[in-house]
Amino acid sequence: MSELQRILYVEDEPDIQAIASLALETVGGYTVKTCASGEEAVREAEAFAPDLILLDVMMPGMDGPTTLEALRGIPALVEVPVAFMTAKVQPSEIAHYKSLGARDVIAKPFDPMTLSDEVRRIWKAAA
Amino acid sequence: MTDATAEQALKDRLEQLRARYLERLPEELTGLNTLQDSLTGQEQDREVLDELQQRLHKLAGSGGSFGCAELSAAARLLEQRISSWLGAEALALDAASRQWLADEIAGLSRTVPAQSMEPSEQPDVGVLPETRHAVDRVLKVWLVEDDAELAGQLGQQLQSFNYAVRVFDGIDALKRAVKGEQPDLLLIDVMLDEGRENATTRLVDCPELKALGCPLIFLSDKDDFPSRVRAVQLGAQGYFLKPLDVPRLVSRISQIFEERRAPAQRVLVVDDDADLAEHMRLVLTAAGMEARVLDAPRNIMDTIAAFRPELVLMDLYMPEYAGTDLAGLIRQHEAYIHLPIVYLSVETDIERQIEAMGRGADDFLTKPISDVQLVAAARSRIARARQPEERISKDSLTGLLKHASIKEAASREVLRARRIGRPVTLAMLDIDHFKRVNDAYGHAVGDVVIMSIATLLRQRLRQSDVIGRYGGEEFVAVLPECDAENARRVLEDIRRNFAALNFNHRDERFGCTISIGMVCSADYPEEDGPDLLVAADEALYRAKRGGRDQIQRAFPAPALPECSEASTT
Repeated sequence: MSELQRILYVEDEPDIQAIASLALETVGGYTVKTCASGEEAVREAEAFAPDLILLDVMMPGMDGPTTLEALRGIPALVEVPVAFMTAKVQPSEIAHYKSLGARDVIAKPFDPMTLSDEVRRIWKAAA
Repeated sequence: MTDATAEQALKDRLEQLRARYLERLPEELTGLNTLQDSLTGQEQDREVLDELQQRLHKLAGSGGSFGCAELSAAARLLEQRISSWLGAEALALDAASRQWLADEIAGLSRTVPAQSMEPSEQPDVGVLPETRHAVDRVLKVWLVEDDAELAGQLGQQLQSFNYAVRVFDGIDALKRAVKGEQPDLLLIDVMLDEGRENATTRLVDCPELKALGCPLIFLSDKDDFPSRVRAVQLGAQGYFLKPLDVPRLVSRISQIFEERRAPAQRVLVVDDDADLAEHMRLVLTAAGMEARVLDAPRNIMDTIAAFRPELVLMDLYMPEYAGTDLAGLIRQHEAYIHLPIVYLSVETDIERQIEAMGRGADDFLTKPISDVQLVAAARSRIARARQPEERISKDSLTGLLKHASIKEAASREVLRARRIGRPVTLAMLDIDHFKRVNDAYGHAVGDVVIMSIATLLRQRLRQSDVIGRYGGEEFVAVLPECDAENARRVLEDIRRNFAALNFNHRDERFGCTISIGMVCSADYPEEDGPDLLVAADEALYRAKRGGRDQIQRAFPAPALPECSEASTT
């Protein structure tokens, strides 16, 4: 793995989508592609070739865990680290999400000024 | 783009997103309210509760990113409660639970901070950068008082302090008004309708007023125990007896507003359980504090030096080092002898707790600790630790720094200015003919005049500027990274606004003016803080001699001995 550059971000809430992409692009300097649903992410992910995937947990249709499972079925993406974003941050839940194959969990609400630091930390830990 | 402009651009965009979010929020809250309104207490509520839970979950997840941490926390609590209802086999919400939910949902709106200033209302950049706070807008004080004369007088005085005052003659009028608009502070007379109505009794049954969540102060001509207790239960932050001591009342009001802009409390969490530490960090952050988790024990002193925590939450048992070891290490450093340290542990053995406390810590919290308890423990401990420092360094009437502290700040900033190669401007301000005010109207009125200049200084200067009461009617302002030109513009604004204030005594109205002497470090490259204060004082003396109500700038003699402002700037 070289440098973290391309982030695929899956989130159905337009407000959160806007503030997170701003935070990741402007503060972190990353290239971000956003998808509004798990279905869209599964369609678009391979072509975008992300270095890291951020998944909202609670989405209508395919939720975060289901999307993760579907993404893991795409051979090109097997190695790509995935982190969940969720408003539920009890220690037991973090453990549960990690057991599903996520590298880490980012708590919502996040601070837009430090989100990219957190993402970088997860990336480094995964590398 | 330079770093600074890039950062500003980012802040602007964040602010735009936040504004958009806040704009849509009322609609979302109304939606929640409509949903809860359709609850019937029957099994079919499940669908509605599902929808409510999802929406609250979204609010919990988004609010904090847009500066509404309190909304996030409140929504999360509601979400959890609903989830526990949904977990029950049979769903039958009784009327009390439905009412509770309705109240809580109605209460969500008061967790939303007021919209910040429109860009067009913002003062000149360059002079007053982004450190200006949203609370600098005119604050709305609503007064419920049926005595028209008193209401008129009090209203006028409060307006002198730049508060927008609206008067209501009773609770019903107030109730009608809060539907459209919300005050920043409520002042309510306890006895209304010529003694037939007790406001504290009425308010207990007014969910819409309780839901406002704005600070509340009662005025009363009777000092009766039941009303005072009810006032406390209603969350009142003050109870003032008539005849009103207006300076004290105004001082309390500005203190309440001041507390809102106090810097966030800083907590360092030391716990080897990374998940738990992260959870505590999130909980404290959601409560508006700044929290950091120590990554490795050996970095503890560096982290403390950089983060300057006001409280350390320390796990007692960690694999590498015990909490008592780290607490002892902190205490080896003289600068941190008073830093509050609280142990966290599952230890319930009182004797071992006492032994642990003997080794450098102040208190003990037993795990598992609830989120609410954690926040309350941290908050009260920091608040108490902050107090003595404030009391030592701050003037009790104005809340500004005292003589010694402002002098120290001036010296520090002059040294810093030299180090970073940017100018600092010092200003000395003195109320003109103040003795005449005291002699003619009494000291209470004199205090109002003093507090009003203090309030003006606070409102017009940046948060990074330092303000102090230097003597009786003399003030010093330290404006870091501000050249003479910009300083003059701000000070001129303060001088003009102060001259425009009207003060009252009985039926007499009078005005006051101030004279200002200023000095910029750029003109005195060799001198230190005390020298510059002397120079500012000389310039002030020139302003007085020149006819008062004006600003004079100091220049080193003999190059420009008697330069007036017009010919030099």
